[in-house]
Amino acid sequence: MEDKFDRGSALTIFPSDRHEDLMALVLSFVIAALVYFLV
Amino acid sequence: MVYTKRTVWPLIIGIIMVGYAYLVQSGQLAPAIKLLGTGRYAGEMLTLGYAFGGVAIAAGLWHLIAAPREGHADYYFSTIAGVMFIMLVAFVVKWGLDPLMANWGRDAQPTLGFNFASVMNLNYVVMGILAGIIVVNVFKVPAWAENGVRLSRLGLKTGVILLGALYSFAELAQLGKLSVLLIGVFVLGSVWLVLIIGSQRNLPNSMTGVLSAGVGVCGVSAAVAAAPVVQAKSLEIAYTIGTILLFGVLCMFLFPIVGKSLGMGYIQFGAWAGTGILNSAQVAGAALAFQPGGIETLKVAEIFNITRVLFLPIIVVWLAIWYVRREQAAQRQVQKVDAMQVVISKFPIFVLGFILMFLLSSTGIFAPARHYQGAYFDNSDKMLKRVDKRSGKEINNYLKDSDLATLTKELERVKREDQRSALQRLIDGKKVVSEADDDTLRGVVNAKILSKEGNAILTRAHRAVRHTAQKIAMFRDLIAWFFTFGLVGLGMQITMSSIRQAGGQPLVIGSIVGVIKAIGSLIVVMLLVAETI
Repeated sequence: MEDKFDRGSALTIFPSDRHEDLMALVLSFVIAALVYFLV
Repeated sequence: MVYTKRTVWPLIIGIIMVGYAYLVQSGQLAPAIKLLGTGRYAGEMLTLGYAFGGVAIAAGLWHLIAAPREGHADYYFSTIAGVMFIMLVAFVVKWGLDPLMANWGRDAQPTLGFNFASVMNLNYVVMGILAGIIVVNVFKVPAWAENGVRLSRLGLKTGVILLGALYSFAELAQLGKLSVLLIGVFVLGSVWLVLIIGSQRNLPNSMTGVLSAGVGVCGVSAAVAAAPVVQAKSLEIAYTIGTILLFGVLCMFLFPIVGKSLGMGYIQFGAWAGTGILNSAQVAGAALAFQPGGIETLKVAEIFNITRVLFLPIIVVWLAIWYVRREQAAQRQVQKVDAMQVVISKFPIFVLGFILMFLLSSTGIFAPARHYQGAYFDNSDKMLKRVDKRSGKEINNYLKDSDLATLTKELERVKREDQRSALQRLIDGKKVVSEADDDTLRGVVNAKILSKEGNAILTRAHRAVRHTAQKIAMFRDLIAWFFTFGLVGLGMQITMSSIRQAGGQPLVIGSIVGVIKAIGSLIVVMLLVAETI
């Protein structure tokens, strides 16, 4: 599967695990803020 | 390299999603929804159906009309089609297969004597992985969806971070020193044992690492949290989850039998089940099988069970250092491993996110700070007697005189002293007067001591003082969706050849350590936990 992608890896579109973690962190806290203000 | 493939499929997926939402809205799917018992999902069927359907249609048009060139726009926009492909499968899992299995499990219960769907844990976790595996092995992931499937791990990580919102310090404050000590010894001991046996049996370091976290801590979140630090493959995470669930099925049947034959008390059994069984749902199942007439065992088991979560960050740090050392040894590198350096470079930030979310939740911004997974006790007057915001009608949840008369008449049926006193206090106060009484009275309901009418009154009294925080309920739904999305995508990365390659070793090692943990914790509980109810 690795050859199919010239960026990221077979498991992720991000350049590294850290990038993916940070993205998950940002996404989670955006969701938390939405839940806090809207629900 | 251009990632956007010319295809009509995202458009078709979008039309299916929007069409489904429309059929739900127009009531044409009402019989099917009633049959599956998915009426509570009707709201999300509309919202998610229209929202994702709309996005999928837009992505479908992009795939048909646009002439993408290599670059960021092509790279990132092309993931949308894959995400929608996974979401379509996730819809089938969450609104179709999951409730269908639950129904079949209930229907077969009188014949089999047990609910196979709940025993085998055939919920969206298992169904999601299986659906993904079936899709990739029977139909193959289409080329236009491949880029998006690589976002599934992001979904799992987001789910783990949001999981922190379900817990609070208040719950941890209930933990006794004994539970922390007992769990600590067995969590760390199990991890250590898997690492030793895995190394001896030449299991890949990544497989050993993720299996140790799964067997030591518990379930999906631990496997997901540990996977990046040991560079585990999708198959290895799925294997770990499978091992935990299969072993848990065995435990659910055996633990109550052993507990009863040894004459264990509720606290003893709760401590043992919470320590020895690996999966949270199965811990609850065994506790209820041991004590169907009360929830004392369940409460103890749950407290022991959640204590494991505390050890997750410690295990992740340990595995990060262990993995780097093992890999260096394999490459015959002799330089000393700087533990701090490894932790800084390897510790997954999303585990830190889980801790941050937990701290945030403990401040009480999502629910009263004393909540546990969103549920909290409040029997104050303003909660029992209030005006409903939607209807404007006054709600009075104090017990009525007719209810009190029924309960007074049936008081004699209750033989256990603590249960009878709790019932008397309920009659006197016209409401459940304390959290402890609420737990005791739930035991009376579970034991079916009172008439149907009496039980209905107790259940009403319980609901009047137990509240679910809306925000936490929303978090719970979102977590379920992120996990379903992530697990379907994870399954889509597992091919039959990779399963054959891995063999059955993880199941063997996981089971060996599971048995040692179960027997060890049984001995320790019998020696240290003396009190019984």
